[in-house]
Amino acid sequence: MRAYLSVFRMRLRMELQYRGAMIGGILCQMFFGLILVALYRALYAGKPQSVPIESVATYVWLQQAFFRMMVASDNELLDKIRSGDISYDLCRPVHMYSFYYARIAAQKLMGSLMRAIPMLIVAFCLPKGWGMTLPASPFGFLACIPALFLGFLCICALENITVAFTMKTLDPRGMQGLLNLLMVTLSGNLLPLTLFPESWQRFITLFPYAQLLDAPIRLYTGVYAPAEALRIYVIQGVWALILIALGLSMWNANRKRMIVQGG
Amino acid sequence: MNILRLYFKSIGMLLRSHLQYPGSFFMQTLAQLVMEGGEMMVVILIVDRFENLAEWSGSNLYFFFGMMAVSFYLTELFGRGITGDFPGMVRTGRLDTFLVRPRGVLTQVLCGGTDPRRITCIAVGVAALIMGSRLSGIVWTPLKALALVESIAMSCLLILGLFMIEGIFCIYSVKSVELVNAITYGGKSACQYPIDIYPTPLRALFTVVAPFSLTMHVPASWILGKPLYGWPSWTAFVTPLSGVLVFAIMTCLFHLALRHYRSTGS
Amino acid sequence: MSYIEVSELKKDFIVHKKRQQGKLLREKDTVHALKGVSFTVERGELVGYIGPNGAGKSTTVKILSGILTPDSGSAQVGGIVPWEARKEHVKHIGVVFGQRSQLWWDVPIIDSYNLLKDIYRIPQGDYESRLKELTEALQLEPLMRTPLRLLSLGQRMRAELCGSLLHRPELLFLDEPTIGLDAVSKLALRDFLKWENREYGTTIMLTTHDMEDISALCSRVMVLGHGQKLFDGKLPDLLERFDTIRKVSVKYDDPAPELHLPEGVTCEQAADTLEITYEPAKLPTAQLLAILQDSGNIRELTLQPENTDHLIAAMYKELDL
Repeated sequence: MRAYLSVFRMRLRMELQYRGAMIGGILCQMFFGLILVALYRALYAGKPQSVPIESVATYVWLQQAFFRMMVASDNELLDKIRSGDISYDLCRPVHMYSFYYARIAAQKLMGSLMRAIPMLIVAFCLPKGWGMTLPASPFGFLACIPALFLGFLCICALENITVAFTMKTLDPRGMQGLLNLLMVTLSGNLLPLTLFPESWQRFITLFPYAQLLDAPIRLYTGVYAPAEALRIYVIQGVWALILIALGLSMWNANRKRMIVQGG
Repeated sequence: MNILRLYFKSIGMLLRSHLQYPGSFFMQTLAQLVMEGGEMMVVILIVDRFENLAEWSGSNLYFFFGMMAVSFYLTELFGRGITGDFPGMVRTGRLDTFLVRPRGVLTQVLCGGTDPRRITCIAVGVAALIMGSRLSGIVWTPLKALALVESIAMSCLLILGLFMIEGIFCIYSVKSVELVNAITYGGKSACQYPIDIYPTPLRALFTVVAPFSLTMHVPASWILGKPLYGWPSWTAFVTPLSGVLVFAIMTCLFHLALRHYRSTGS
Repeated sequence: MSYIEVSELKKDFIVHKKRQQGKLLREKDTVHALKGVSFTVERGELVGYIGPNGAGKSTTVKILSGILTPDSGSAQVGGIVPWEARKEHVKHIGVVFGQRSQLWWDVPIIDSYNLLKDIYRIPQGDYESRLKELTEALQLEPLMRTPLRLLSLGQRMRAELCGSLLHRPELLFLDEPTIGLDAVSKLALRDFLKWENREYGTTIMLTTHDMEDISALCSRVMVLGHGQKLFDGKLPDLLERFDTIRKVSVKYDDPAPELHLPEGVTCEQAADTLEITYEPAKLPTAQLLAILQDSGNIRELTLQPENTDHLIAAMYKELDL
């Protein structure tokens, strides 16, 4: 357990060093958020929807704030795989999947929190209809926190699957492109899932990608009532388990193959 | 003419290098298609739900989307040298190789990159353009076709110019990837919709700093038969020239900055 | 007027220090890469340019090849100021950076050469004859259709050289050309450079850390340190100046005797051998031999020449580099 904690802590510290990149990243993400909110406001001016604009704006800001959590960010790790240096890691006396899970989790947690907190503060200060609104109810806010945690588990598991894919094919760009597209579209980053056609939403919200941010955001904005929280947690938890199990089996398969090939 | 020959010869060579890894090349081209298709799907979903955007019909939105996609990805296809790893070249000193050859640095940078995978993105853009034009009931005249071609060409130059900003910053060792991304990729996201839906500060940004509204929206409005804010119709042919202006300014700035080039990394 | 004229060249770099804890802005530091360097080089000279890392060697070469603009001072190569008329200037020069390739990675090297032909606007006839000559001299024929990435380090360096000489430059800059090469490749490379210099009178400026390169190739050597020129002359003169210590090893038939040597001379004794280190300036070699002659039955006596690498290290140390 110590090894996983220490790789987690080391990554946290590394993330803290890139403050310059962080400020640039925040400004860039804020800019994208502004553009999207302006677009939806203009769309709403013509034809208001059942989901209020305040809720859409909140959705956009939360998505932008946690954007960093979703994109595959550990280029160093991918380079390691391409160059074959990963075989050194495979010889270490630790459980590889957990080791990389901890590494990815630290990076995503720190990277996104450092960006999300200042961004959300600014977003709260924007005028009504442009910025974030308070949660629908105190219960909604409380219900959102475990959902965020479960979503976070899913994201890290998903990225671990991407890494496992990379180890298998060595050239990750094509596969990564596809997985990234699924991620930004089906997680509600390009267009809030609440604005997808209702008939689609019933399926899409069951997909793993909707568990990452969409589910917590819906709890926050009150699209899901706090009473539904338990049902959501179950879906999220099941996905987290499935994704982790899938990732584990892929890592194990890779490991066997590597040992046979001798790295 | 010699420069064009050099350019196409370089591009041919780069194509051959890409095809050294055919499997990966194919996968990536496919991934690009799905990615741009996804963007297009979002516009379709928006049109499905909202029908109109201010005074623009859904079909107009497809037209705008198509113009931006074609311009942006044409730039990436032919100008990959600049839109790709140009800042990286400055940062690591790989630009040295270009500086010791008797040709313009930018010419060589441009010759050094192409991204044929973008062809599928352009195809999606062309499809959107055709769809938008059909549904909007545009009656094409030679003049309108000319306006479209000019608009796309000028937008390409504008995008090239914007991508050069980071290369220039890099010479002064200012790291600004994400900020410049806001104006390039952010510009793409924002300006694939009609510019007049945005609040004034954003409109000003995309008119003065990154004049997509001049290179793209004015001619597009004219092609779609909308009133040009009361301006005479020849303005639709003049405002896009701001694209060449931005490119020229950035080229000058780049050459001025080169005097401070430090050639690090060795 | 000499072919290359450099006078009082200065160049500073501003380095951003790592941001310190609790400080908002990074601190800046100025590094004086060149503090006023002057020299001239005649046409057809083969000049070695040495100095420890960070001495300003690369900076000089980069200024002379038009990559960098100096802060002050003047430089002319064949009457052209490199940074002012870059395109005109680089037509006449060739540059090989040891760690940076100018050829294209994934395509056969012949394709790279064909493109260079267009870049330098070399007439077809000239190009063909020059290519034939260079591929023969560098033994590249069997490799022409191989992509660069599949070549070994030595083959790659030969390919790079060929690429940088296609346009028949009058001046060739080589930045650590033999770095990482095996002995055979090094020797072949040196032979080729000598040939090119003799045949076409190509002026060659070579930066290197390998003293063998210098002694094999260069009639003249310049030492740079702390941004200043510290020595300019023939290699033997340089060595003499710093070659202050000699070693003699003496083997006796019997166990080695104990010697009474003047102060400042060290003597290590091991069974039948003596290792004596002395400075000829203080103890003339003849005097030492006289002492040894009477010391016993000498079986073997070797005067060990000081390794040039050690000499350079000693020189850097003495000059406080």
